[in-house]
Amino acid sequence: MIAHPAQLFGGGRFGRRLPRPGAGKVPVTVVTGFLGAGKTTLIRAALKHPYAANSVVIVNEFGEIGIDDVLIRTSTEEVLLIGNGCMCCAARHDLQRILRNLYAERETGAIPPFARVIVETSGLADPGPILQIFHADRTLADHYTLGGLVTVIDGVLASRAEAADAVWIEQVVQADSLILTKSDILGAEDAAVLTSRLAAINPQAPVIESEAARTDPALFLQQPVLPLQKADRDSHHGHEADYQSFVLRFEQPFDWALFTRAMDALVASRGEDILRVKGFVDVAGTAGPVVVNYVRHLASLPEELNAWPDADRATRLVFITRKLGRAKVAALFAGLLGLDD
Amino acid sequence: MTISVLPGDQGSTLNFKLLANHQLGGFGGVGEGVSVQIAKDGRRILWLAHESAPKNFTGLDVTDPKNPKVVVQTALPHSYLRSNSLEVTGDVMAVAYQAQKPGMTGTGLELWDISVPESPKSIAFMSTDGAASRGVHQLWFCDGEFVHMASGAPDFVPHNVLDDQCYRIIDVRNPAKPVEAGRWWLPGTRVGDTAPQPKRHPAGSDSGFRAHNTNVYPQRPDRCYLGYLDAGMFIMDIADKSNPKVISRWDNSPPYAGFTHTALPLFDRGLLIVTDESVLDDGADYPKLVWVLDARDETNPVPIATFPPPDYAKFAKRGGRMGAHNLHENTPVKTSWFSDQVIVGTFFNAGLRAYDISNPYQPKEIAHFIPPAPTGAPTGSIQINDVHIDERGIVYAVDRHAGGVYILEMDF
Repeated sequence: MIAHPAQLFGGGRFGRRLPRPGAGKVPVTVVTGFLGAGKTTLIRAALKHPYAANSVVIVNEFGEIGIDDVLIRTSTEEVLLIGNGCMCCAARHDLQRILRNLYAERETGAIPPFARVIVETSGLADPGPILQIFHADRTLADHYTLGGLVTVIDGVLASRAEAADAVWIEQVVQADSLILTKSDILGAEDAAVLTSRLAAINPQAPVIESEAARTDPALFLQQPVLPLQKADRDSHHGHEADYQSFVLRFEQPFDWALFTRAMDALVASRGEDILRVKGFVDVAGTAGPVVVNYVRHLASLPEELNAWPDADRATRLVFITRKLGRAKVAALFAGLLGLDD
Repeated sequence: MTISVLPGDQGSTLNFKLLANHQLGGFGGVGEGVSVQIAKDGRRILWLAHESAPKNFTGLDVTDPKNPKVVVQTALPHSYLRSNSLEVTGDVMAVAYQAQKPGMTGTGLELWDISVPESPKSIAFMSTDGAASRGVHQLWFCDGEFVHMASGAPDFVPHNVLDDQCYRIIDVRNPAKPVEAGRWWLPGTRVGDTAPQPKRHPAGSDSGFRAHNTNVYPQRPDRCYLGYLDAGMFIMDIADKSNPKVISRWDNSPPYAGFTHTALPLFDRGLLIVTDESVLDDGADYPKLVWVLDARDETNPVPIATFPPPDYAKFAKRGGRMGAHNLHENTPVKTSWFSDQVIVGTFFNAGLRAYDISNPYQPKEIAHFIPPAPTGAPTGSIQINDVHIDERGIVYAVDRHAGGVYILEMDF
């Protein structure tokens, strides 16, 4: 008897099992942060380091006169410029186009090989829409993976702000790592206060001194390990009170259909307030964890890893939300799964 | 854009990490024999068959893959011989010897005791000399009992000199006395056959109707997956080794340019991965492809995809060959990596390439390693020829002319 065609696919339901999230794809590190925070300085320092060899840098110049990136590229400048406009709106499509073209040109030898892309956003960008392109654009997602969202924090300005701007908080709360600049001007005491405030807003992201990041770019260019499992945030004020970062743990393996049903219900009702969800899911019948990533209402394709990174096999999901607390999300899962929260 | 590779050096690496390159003491031309032994003292020895004289084979200590060391390098008795292919099972190594022209002597199969890697000792030599024989081009030796090989024979006389190497099965259960257990050839190629002679491929791409890779796996010890150059690929029933029988044949040429080389079965998935070897310089036989076949019905393998080939404009005029050749074949020995999700292959000047075939209808390149042209490369380019991956996931890719072995880690 001839086997069913499903046999041809082999493996698990999530395709090839990977040694790490995003394996086999080009990592794209998105560097965000307000104007003057030190993004360009950080990236230029990284480019001088061997770790960042074979990198392409794409810069979103907001408010500048539109410059044809093709002209810039053929003049062998180090960076590609995206035309006028903030990357979170019109220029997002430019970023998609440039990433597609870069891949095609690398394959055909039109440009030298590159192994990493660094995107420097305009200071005003909400990073959410940029992160969504790795979920919404399947062609891009086939070749690229989000290598991490890095937010550069101007220590002096941040420490002075009484009530922080909502975009600033969204840049901080969604980040995979935070780079603190100008802490030498700030002084040790104020720097410590700011660091603990950043950790309170985003307990999952390491806070890295810019000097250390310049010396060792791997600190922020290396793919983040998910999830770090730090405590939920426990203090906030002003706009910060609207944002939550918390971890849900589930000890029992998930039926995948049930898990997706829970997430579908969540994003259908509160998608705009789910800034990010990332983590490992223990799916019944799989050898390693299934890595999931959501940005608002969009999910990336789940990836199954070869093995769990440690002995802890519990499902761990980091939720970064706006005006949506841990209790509500946990209750939704509990209701669907028949669990006690 | 920051670029670490200078224009003109042709190098490019994606998702592989180079640990070491060893040029084998200036004899860096390696053929299609790459095999790993774990010696009794725990050392890991990489055995390499050279592409051409004067060297026969080299043993390289790769216990520390970042610091390989030559432990032995042997010489051929004649400058017209090449060893090209070898395989290790336990402490026994089988080596193939082929001559440049039919009638030359010294061809055959040799078994070596490599229990002391520094001092390989010949156990037996089985001659394949004959008026119409060039000897042994390729062999497969994984079960310690039988050698499956592409070989001429003293009594095998083809109509066409290009058809001299048939599929031969050699019983080496007594390694001191190898004896032929059976053979098969494409009907019509041998003088005396009743079948009509096969139609030759057009001039310029007539490479011959002869055996190349002869893969046999423990999952189906009664099957041989046989590449037969211009005749395509055969699945053979070898339950009776004295009388191999054809189960099916798949032949893509013409319109393609023949030289079917390797047929790699992925048993759990019902797939076959088949390569055609590029044998002409400057892209003259482009595209030489890697094919994915639906082999759920072994009597009727059906092509369902090809691997995306290296870009013609980028590689064709770099010098030497471009296109498919060898694969890591999931060699059924304990020192071999196994994967039916990722296929790693060699593409001459397009280097070493890895493909995700989790969707068999849409293979996707996920990594490549193309070193710059090695010093002394006659083609002016790298010519990655063969690859083996050990059970640790360490990759050994070899250059055909000068570069020796490149030792790599996979990062995908």
